[in-house]
Amino acid sequence: MEEIPVLEMKGIVKIYPDGTKALKGVDLTVYQGEILGLLGENGAGKTTLMKILFGMLHPTAGKIYVKGEETRFKSPADALANGIGMVHQHFTLVEVFDALHNIILGMEGHGMFSKIDVEKAKKKLQKLMDDLNFQVPLNVPVEELPVGVQQRIEILKMLFRDVEVLILDEPTAVLTPLEVEELFQVLRKLKAEGKTIIFISHKLNEVIELTDRVTVIRKGEVIGTVKTSEATPQILARMMVGRDVVLRIQKPPKEAGKPILKVENLWVKGDRGEDAVKNLSFEVRAGEIFGIAGVEGNGQTELVEALTGLRNLERGHVILNGIDISGRSPKELYELGIAHIPEDRTHMGLILDMTVTENAILGLQWREKFKRWKGTIDWNKAKRHTNNLIGEFDIIAPGVDAPVKSLSGGNQQKLIVAREVSKQPVLIIASQPTRGVDVASTEYIRNYLVKLRNEDKAVLLVSADLDEIIQLSDRMGVMYEGEFMGVVKPEEVTTEEIGMMMGGIKYEEIRK
Amino acid sequence: MDVGSILSILITSLMAMVPIVLTSVGAAWSERAGVVSIGYEGVLLMSAFFGGIMAELTGNAVMGLVGGILTGIVFGILHGVLTVYLKGDHVIPGIGINLLAMGVVPFGILAYWGTAGQHQMAVTMWHWHTKYGDLSPMVFITILIAVVTWWVLFKTPLGLRVRAVGENPEAADALGISVEKYRFWSTVYGHALAGLGGAFMSVDWLGVVQKTMSGGRGFIALANMVFSGWNPLISLIGGWLFGFFDALATWLAPQHIIPGQFIRMLPYIMTLIIVAGIIGKARPPKADGKPYKRE
Amino acid sequence: MKKSGSDILKSINLKALIESLIAIFVGFLIGAIVLLAFGYDPVTTYSALFQGALGSTTGIASTLAYSTPIMLTALTFAISARTGIFNIGAEGSFYFGAIAAVIFTNIWGNMWFGLFMGMVLGALWGLPAAFLKVYRGVHEVISTIMLNWIAWFFVLWLVVGPYANPNDPNKTLRIPPSARLPLIGNTNLSIAFIIAVFAAVLSYYILWHTILGYGMRASGLNPRAAEYGGIKPKQAIIWSFIIGGIMSGLGGAMKIMGEPPTYAISQGMANVYGYGFDGIGVALVGRNHPLGIIFAAIFFGMLRAGTPLMQIEAQVPLEIIKVIQGIIVITVAIPGLYDLIKNAITRREV
Repeated sequence: MEEIPVLEMKGIVKIYPDGTKALKGVDLTVYQGEILGLLGENGAGKTTLMKILFGMLHPTAGKIYVKGEETRFKSPADALANGIGMVHQHFTLVEVFDALHNIILGMEGHGMFSKIDVEKAKKKLQKLMDDLNFQVPLNVPVEELPVGVQQRIEILKMLFRDVEVLILDEPTAVLTPLEVEELFQVLRKLKAEGKTIIFISHKLNEVIELTDRVTVIRKGEVIGTVKTSEATPQILARMMVGRDVVLRIQKPPKEAGKPILKVENLWVKGDRGEDAVKNLSFEVRAGEIFGIAGVEGNGQTELVEALTGLRNLERGHVILNGIDISGRSPKELYELGIAHIPEDRTHMGLILDMTVTENAILGLQWREKFKRWKGTIDWNKAKRHTNNLIGEFDIIAPGVDAPVKSLSGGNQQKLIVAREVSKQPVLIIASQPTRGVDVASTEYIRNYLVKLRNEDKAVLLVSADLDEIIQLSDRMGVMYEGEFMGVVKPEEVTTEEIGMMMGGIKYEEIRK
Repeated sequence: MDVGSILSILITSLMAMVPIVLTSVGAAWSERAGVVSIGYEGVLLMSAFFGGIMAELTGNAVMGLVGGILTGIVFGILHGVLTVYLKGDHVIPGIGINLLAMGVVPFGILAYWGTAGQHQMAVTMWHWHTKYGDLSPMVFITILIAVVTWWVLFKTPLGLRVRAVGENPEAADALGISVEKYRFWSTVYGHALAGLGGAFMSVDWLGVVQKTMSGGRGFIALANMVFSGWNPLISLIGGWLFGFFDALATWLAPQHIIPGQFIRMLPYIMTLIIVAGIIGKARPPKADGKPYKRE
Repeated sequence: MKKSGSDILKSINLKALIESLIAIFVGFLIGAIVLLAFGYDPVTTYSALFQGALGSTTGIASTLAYSTPIMLTALTFAISARTGIFNIGAEGSFYFGAIAAVIFTNIWGNMWFGLFMGMVLGALWGLPAAFLKVYRGVHEVISTIMLNWIAWFFVLWLVVGPYANPNDPNKTLRIPPSARLPLIGNTNLSIAFIIAVFAAVLSYYILWHTILGYGMRASGLNPRAAEYGGIKPKQAIIWSFIIGGIMSGLGGAMKIMGEPPTYAISQGMANVYGYGFDGIGVALVGRNHPLGIIFAAIFFGMLRAGTPLMQIEAQVPLEIIKVIQGIIVITVAIPGLYDLIKNAITRREV
């Protein structure tokens, strides 16, 4: 292709204040009138890259060229002014406004005090919709509309601003299959009109169906760009996840014991009322680590919350050691032997403004061993317990009375693990246990999970980190849109096959 | 109840409506933009006082009203800086402003006029005298302000943006609308209207500056704002109802039919019932009272 | 029961303490400017103020007596604030506590019964706001403002109607002598002060040494983490309203039962009005810490108790102290005050 790219990003580096290197020199080229797929796992840096392009984040280094000219975006408004629009995974709509007012917001026409010319705006929108061959109701508050329609309103909002390049971040994550098909029709129509589209996804089939070219990102680097017509799910999966997993964890072979946790036909709803977990069944046995892999947002969070009493079950049963625990409260579940290492350390696992000791007894506060007399806590006993945990788990802390926020991320996470283990559970549910944790602590936590398994505990490990799942799991399920694409033993499959399952292809189909 | 007393209650309630409606309309605008304030009680009191001083200094009652507006603006700026720019809590400054007013005004009356607790205004607004009581032009101005504010809030680009920053500041920000700017000036406007309402009480309606003259109207106005669903036009009717109940209770007091206290309680009970969603629906703007920080 | 000093220290935030002291300084500073502007002498005024409040046994007794009701209403605010709730309903519970004392000591002239019923009515008046918050999602600031006024008019009706004193219709029935709180020594200070300090210490103990208090603080700081920790934030909120209501109800009852020579709610409820809102100021200066509140309440009480001498010696209207209090509260409301000032100072030094 000889033409000048409509958009070019060169050597984009993003280092967050905490030192995380999210992007390590990414180059991206986008041509006029194409649909470019941006493919990658969680944490690969897709969204970070696009937020930089849309002016929401500022790159640490690197340059952006729009039609060959170097440009800097201070804010989304700057990006919009340069013809770049973005539709986020979480919509930015004013829920009580109707579609019309959401769309014209900020571009209402002349005169702040003059009456908004609703008819004129309506006419322009109607033309836009007619051209694209889809309709949205313009006068209904958007909160009353289904997600698919809300998404179209977001797209219309961008088109109303005459954007040339439209970025869509995981647009199909919230849609029904029918809505996905309709969205694709709209996007093809836009392409036919000469608009350029960047489609961020981890879904292999969708990328192959829709895009012209695919750029694959892994761990902050571009792995390569291929023409979609020359790509297969195998090629893309290999690019996305393919690698040699270094097995650093010593894991002796072990026969799993009796089932500890049984999940039967479980249905769980997500925050927006969608079915996040669909008819899921599996069991976790004593002395095994059962891993759940998958790109985040495929129902893992809702599953874990349902298992730990933090979210209602819609249908189905959860059985722990023969007892039906469906619908029990977290407190009851802890007493029955469940421990939970939550995925969100700072918002759920810890209370940052409390001390190390106060955090070390969270979920244990009723236990006999911290009691002074009925209803009171003996802090000396709690401190002794905390000191034991600190010693046993090599947690570096300024002291038991220091606020827990003064600990490093790794030590905070170790404190959570220590606390959960001190509940003396039969089942440990560990969700993203090493996310944002330093190498040494990661190693420690992983080894500890294996140790628990060796001690005949049941471990349910949910992680978006494929290396972690492959290294630790005895068996694993790959979750996609609330279902397992397959339940396999890690040593029996290739990473490429796992990657395909993560992208929504069933194991049976892969093996065919 | 004869026609005369009905008319007199109606006229009294029209005058009583003015400070409540002005404050409700201002508060509704400010909360539509996402800024809560409970300092209107203090602003009413202080603007009654400073408006009174201004009227006597200039010998002009209209200048007294301007003085009230300026007082409101000063506290609007203070509240706006603390909440919008410094991202502080929205309720605490109001508590401070109310406390301050309870000091400044009695202290000021004594220190400035040398009388304790009360000062009879030498300059007051022109009134239209009727057989059943006085009527001020401010009644009509208040109605006009409520209608215009409603129109601007719901029909113009400015209003659309104000409501957007109060409902979903992220969405507004993403479209290049400055959340801080709109919130700050909305806060100032809200307090300025309360300031006008305060000055109305001293230089117009009652003709006195009294250390307790706000009499809970700042809180009544907040009740009315909620009662009216944050809608300036409805708060006109709500404000008149609150004024009417007040006048009715005063009229009923010597009749010993229903204790006046129960009549006065009614608006608050109604407001509670409405916010509880037992009758109707009153939903505050989604980002009301929440400081906005870009991620 | 051995309590190490460090336990209490760890619950106190040093930065917050410094901010409160700065706010007090700013309050006096701006107060001085106002005094100068109106031709008063701030030095005379302030020295008379402190002299009046601390210079004699009567002064000190008066300081402590004034600090009592606001200490309790401050606890109401602080306990809720620690649970993440903005409860400004102390005012209403205070009225109910006061009228409960009048009603029930006239049924049975027992001091403890009066105090108990004050607490019960205070707690009951905290419940509507709690339930509206938990079950209907009504913001507590809105509901408590409404409830304060409903309480005001309802209690006012009781004061001027059923419980008006037949001999002195401007006041309510008096507390029978058998139910009045004992006075300490030869002063007008009743044991109400001691009870209030005890209530503050108890509040501290509840918040920092019980499972309930732990759950309340956890819910206030991070409701999601609290839920994860097996705590029910909704229950914690309801408890915070109940305990808060008890404190204000007790305050209202003791205001009437322990204040010579009136021992009744006076005309227009003048002797029970405004303590709820003053208490919020006390809580803010005391940084929502029960032990900080003891000192903040005594400080506010001191300002109030010093006014008679200030009026005599400096001829300054007593309301200047409300000006100072208001400035203090507004200053406390400046977010990150400590860091703002620290940065300003370091910038100058560089």
